[in-house]
Amino acid sequence: MSNRKRILSNIWQKFNSWEGLLFVILIIVFFINSIIAPNYLTVGNQINLFVLYIEKIIVALTMTFLIINGEIDLSAPSIMGLSACTMAYFYSNGMNFGLAILISLLIGVACGAFNGFWVAVVGLNSLIVTLATLIGYRGLARVFVEDRSFGYFPEWFNNLGQKNLIGPFPFALILFFILFIFALIILQYSGFGRRVFVIGNNKDVAQYSGVNVQRVKIQLYIASGLISSLAGLLLAARYGAIRGDTAYGYELEIITMALLGGVNIFGGSGSLYGVFLSILIVLNVRNGLSLAGLSGHFQTGIIGVLLIFSILGPNISKLFKDWNKKHKLFIKPEKIVESNHKEVDQV
Amino acid sequence: MKKTIWRIAAPLVVLSMLLVSCAQPAAPAEEAAPAEEEEAAPAEEEAAPAVEAYDMVLLPKFMGNLVFDETNQGAEEAQAELGNTGELEYVGPTAENSVAGQIEIVTSSTTKGVDAIMISNNAGDQIVPSVKAARDAGILVVTWDSPIPTAEGEQLFVAQVDFDETGEVMADMALSILGEDGGEFAVLSASPDASNQNAWIAALEEILTDAKYANLDLVDIVYGNDISEDSYDQALALVAKYPDLGLIMAPTTIGITAASKAMQDEGLCDTVKVSGLGLPSEMVDYTLNGCAPEFALWSFVDLGYLTYYTTYKILSGEIEGVEGETFDAGRMGSYTITKDPTRDAGLRILMGPFSVYNKDNVQ
Repeated sequence: MSNRKRILSNIWQKFNSWEGLLFVILIIVFFINSIIAPNYLTVGNQINLFVLYIEKIIVALTMTFLIINGEIDLSAPSIMGLSACTMAYFYSNGMNFGLAILISLLIGVACGAFNGFWVAVVGLNSLIVTLATLIGYRGLARVFVEDRSFGYFPEWFNNLGQKNLIGPFPFALILFFILFIFALIILQYSGFGRRVFVIGNNKDVAQYSGVNVQRVKIQLYIASGLISSLAGLLLAARYGAIRGDTAYGYELEIITMALLGGVNIFGGSGSLYGVFLSILIVLNVRNGLSLAGLSGHFQTGIIGVLLIFSILGPNISKLFKDWNKKHKLFIKPEKIVESNHKEVDQV
Repeated sequence: MKKTIWRIAAPLVVLSMLLVSCAQPAAPAEEAAPAEEEEAAPAEEEAAPAVEAYDMVLLPKFMGNLVFDETNQGAEEAQAELGNTGELEYVGPTAENSVAGQIEIVTSSTTKGVDAIMISNNAGDQIVPSVKAARDAGILVVTWDSPIPTAEGEQLFVAQVDFDETGEVMADMALSILGEDGGEFAVLSASPDASNQNAWIAALEEILTDAKYANLDLVDIVYGNDISEDSYDQALALVAKYPDLGLIMAPTTIGITAASKAMQDEGLCDTVKVSGLGLPSEMVDYTLNGCAPEFALWSFVDLGYLTYYTTYKILSGEIEGVEGETFDAGRMGSYTITKDPTRDAGLRILMGPFSVYNKDNVQ
């Protein structure tokens, strides 16, 4: 019992410190931003900062599930683009708008199921499968819209993306918070969530302990497809027009948000609390740089550094320990003596 | 305990270094401001009796294209001349993230509450919601180089050249390169949503129906998205697809250099020539070695100068920015605001003219 308690408290400590660290970083970013950008702390800006990236952070939620599960979905932005393009294509060809939206959501589901089939049933590596569909779905989107741009959606749809729904909050932002709470409950407080973690830790062990690995994985990919599709439609509403490259290249930042949030790239660990904090960090860093008038190249560079840092961060203490062992700088004298003895013994 | 401290401290050091380095570039701009003021002081005395400070943002399609830097030079020149003590911020997205990036910059500029945004629009009508929000916040939006197709939210467009004339200039260059017998040629454009390039290509297609150009056969239009690698590949793909191709016409400075380099690298310059719109400084080698015997352009420095002047005059209330108004734009003389004949709605100021470059005048 005491052993189990210790393991639990260890895990707690580990999570606690990573999220604590993110929190400290967030406060620093917040602090610096409010110094360098006078309009940073206005309500309008704090909402804008979400709205400019709202589609990415919505997809980051399902991406978190998949990465914890030991998989990845690189094709999510292509599904976003494909959904938006098919919706616009059907609508501009005279289809009922509601029906066009429904079909594009179903296309998202189908895209997710297709990914899930190759990963879960056939057993191919998800990195390769979704890399292929990243290209394939994008190509399909371009087949629909070619090199044109489509706009002139119904006014209520544009308003949904561009106007505020309740008070200063636009629809997409409210939707994000609802989805976030929903995802949080499923991942962290439900049986399904536990299965996601167990599979991510060790697929074979999960399989032998009676978890239906295939089903969970396919469900996750379908969810990812559906949410990506929804995000693509939100993007279309916010821009008021779409084209073949809508949501192109979003995968880097979506994955960055998950990984910086402490989600293990090899699966098995992570939390949505961490991801939420990392989303706030990425958005606030971007917003601050933007308000400070720094160009896109600089922002992209910073995001890259954040990604490296997110992989490096959790390992820093381990790196330090290894380095310490090698150079024997910070070890107490008795220990060195001890190890010398050992060497002597061996000789 | 030591472990935890390191775990927290090390990344923090990295991050704080990072953030300090972010904060630094902003500092020189602030320091530079007083210097500009001093420089501008004499002009202030003679020209404007009461000068207000207007903060203006110059937003190019993306950073890293020389022509936009030249536009900024022109804008800075006008700023100094007019003695505007406000900030001129030259900021743009990366080429890969141009649409979302432009929208983000318009939005953050709105948050900052600048007085005017001058845009070379690369997002088609997708920029409209953010521009409308800017206007609602009382910000003046002027476009240059590339307008908003529907003109929604935009006060006016400072056009570098007449868009119909661009079609004629390109057709004439094609004819002069391919000869009277004509032949096949293809267009290598920027992004499919760049409204300036689209208007020029439409004008080109229009004028090709003229009997004078009957022998010119436009076989394809491809898009390199103003990314050098993509444009390079597209140029080579054109050559592979059309064995009889005699000319690639690239109405973009990035496309024309990429296509020229592709033809030069593959030793194709004798059979496939390149033409279009290019910067003399970037094209000089290709023009002298015969890969791109002729190309055209206008002055981007002048475009930036005129855009800044126009925007400033509207901000200061000297003009309202409506149809029929005439105003004085410093060293460039007098200009009139007219209806834009290339768009259904929208106003424009026409700069012009074209300069055609060949081996005799490229250096």
